[in-house]
Amino acid sequence: MAKSIIVIDDEEVVCKMTKMVLSKEGYDVETFTDSKKALERIKEKKFDLVITDLKMEDIDGMEILRRVNHLYPGTKVIMITAYATLDTAIEALRERVFDFFPKPIKIEELKKSVKEALSD
Amino acid sequence: MNRRKLSIRQKINVAIFIEATLIAAISVFIFLTFKTVLSKLRFIEEFDDINISFLEMRKAEKNYFLYHDPDALTEAYHKGSIAYRTLKRSQEKLTSVLGKDTYNSLIQTLDKYLATIQNIKKPAASPEFASYLRDLGHNLTQLSTHLIKSEHRKINEIIHQSTVMLILSILGIFFSQLFRWHYFSTLLAKKLAKMESLTHTVAKGQFHEVAVQESEPEDEIGLVINAIAKMAQELEKREEQLLQAKKLASLGVLISGVAHELGNPLNNISMLAEGYLSYFDSLSDEEKKQFMKDIQIQTERIRKIVRNLLDFARQKKPEFKVCNPKEIVEKSISLVENQLRVSKIRLHKTFAPKLPSIYVDENQIQQVLINLFTNAIHAMSGGGDLFVDVYSPELKDKVVIRVKDTGSGIKPEILPHIFDPFFTTKGTKGTGLGLSVSYGIIKQHNGKISVETEVGKGTTFTIELPAYQENKEGANG
Repeated sequence: MAKSIIVIDDEEVVCKMTKMVLSKEGYDVETFTDSKKALERIKEKKFDLVITDLKMEDIDGMEILRRVNHLYPGTKVIMITAYATLDTAIEALRERVFDFFPKPIKIEELKKSVKEALSD
Repeated sequence: MNRRKLSIRQKINVAIFIEATLIAAISVFIFLTFKTVLSKLRFIEEFDDINISFLEMRKAEKNYFLYHDPDALTEAYHKGSIAYRTLKRSQEKLTSVLGKDTYNSLIQTLDKYLATIQNIKKPAASPEFASYLRDLGHNLTQLSTHLIKSEHRKINEIIHQSTVMLILSILGIFFSQLFRWHYFSTLLAKKLAKMESLTHTVAKGQFHEVAVQESEPEDEIGLVINAIAKMAQELEKREEQLLQAKKLASLGVLISGVAHELGNPLNNISMLAEGYLSYFDSLSDEEKKQFMKDIQIQTERIRKIVRNLLDFARQKKPEFKVCNPKEIVEKSISLVENQLRVSKIRLHKTFAPKLPSIYVDENQIQQVLINLFTNAIHAMSGGGDLFVDVYSPELKDKVVIRVKDTGSGIKPEILPHIFDPFFTTKGTKGTGLGLSVSYGIIKQHNGKISVETEVGKGTTFTIELPAYQENKEGANG
């Protein structure tokens, strides 16, 4: 069965591109530009990997990370951010983030990271 | 004129010194008067004894002449001797009051009287002695009665004079107190009023008007006024420093805002380009076109950010004109009326009669107002009431435009940032420049913009613009 990935970013292009790239890699990808709706979906379904933007309206990436860690310990989270400060990076690492991607995202690197995260 | 002026404390001291001297002089005068009256009374008392002796002496003398009783003569001699002894005993005191001549003539007359009695007592005394004795006795009583009467008169005179003096001095003290009270109260009231107006000016933040106050006298309140002026100078300096610091801080916010704002579309373009290159062979023509369209959208986004930034950065010189505040507000309202209707917001506007004109750039003020209206509309997503009030306070030196909504209010933690550039609560929908631009515009008009808010109740923005004064070159001269 294909591994499932949820992508949360309020930038539509990011959602569209990651979905395109990762689908072609054979993953089952769902994308959300609305973090609230994404969280509801996470509650419904256990994804194998969560890719989330850090700075978002309503619920930010750090909150998503905490919720995922709480609901599904062991599920890996990749964090994307437009510009990261050291503080947010440290906080994310403390919450056991799998990887930390500063924008602009290199598709090849993202692919590699996703592969690593999902190879048990 | 470089005459050194007296300080208020010195003035009060001088006034108190003058009054104290006056009171001391009055006390000394009363004391002296009292002493004189007392000594006069003592003299009268003593002289009364002598007078009584004289009268008794004369009574005995008369008895002798009427009844030829030799005992009466002895009695007259006895009384005369008592008077003589008293006169001698009080010689000093009596001389001081009566004068030496009067005293001497008294004692000599009495001496002669007594000698004449001795002569009469001798057998076969001449009858002339009798009439001589009568004359002497008569002279003595007349003199003493006269003396007592004149002393009484003198006492009365002294008492009368001191009464007048006392009344005059009391009036003098009363009027000097009245004068002092009036002088110091008007002096203090005048200076305090000046201080009050200065502190009001400082409170209004118009430091430069207070900063130079050199002609103040060197008294305490003058010093306080100077201190206020110095404080205003310092505040003015600090305000400038603060403004610079704020500018630097907002520059930091601006730069990080720009970085974040540009980061997203740049990332999108980068991802689109990389994806386009990587999957070029497997993409259909339609998909390739969509990639390019997406890149175009992202570049347009960047272009918009850059344009906004330029608008913000450009020191557009405002074109000042004398305007009617009501017209500007009405025009701005007409531009958002449709939005208000769609958002189910009821508009309540009031305009005070006889509003003064304002000297402003009409477009810029409209921009500010529309920005405030738009923010209010966003804050009342479920409908509400928008109040727009335009009025001018008593002095007619400014026009106040109040924009009040019944929306969600502003959370206290974000309130300090609402005028910062790129600060927004509208996510990607807002540029975060509206209020910071508005703030800049109002500042450039020498006006003020302030905000009051309560979460869940609503927000009120108040704009104050200086009224146009014909002889003054407007706000920015």
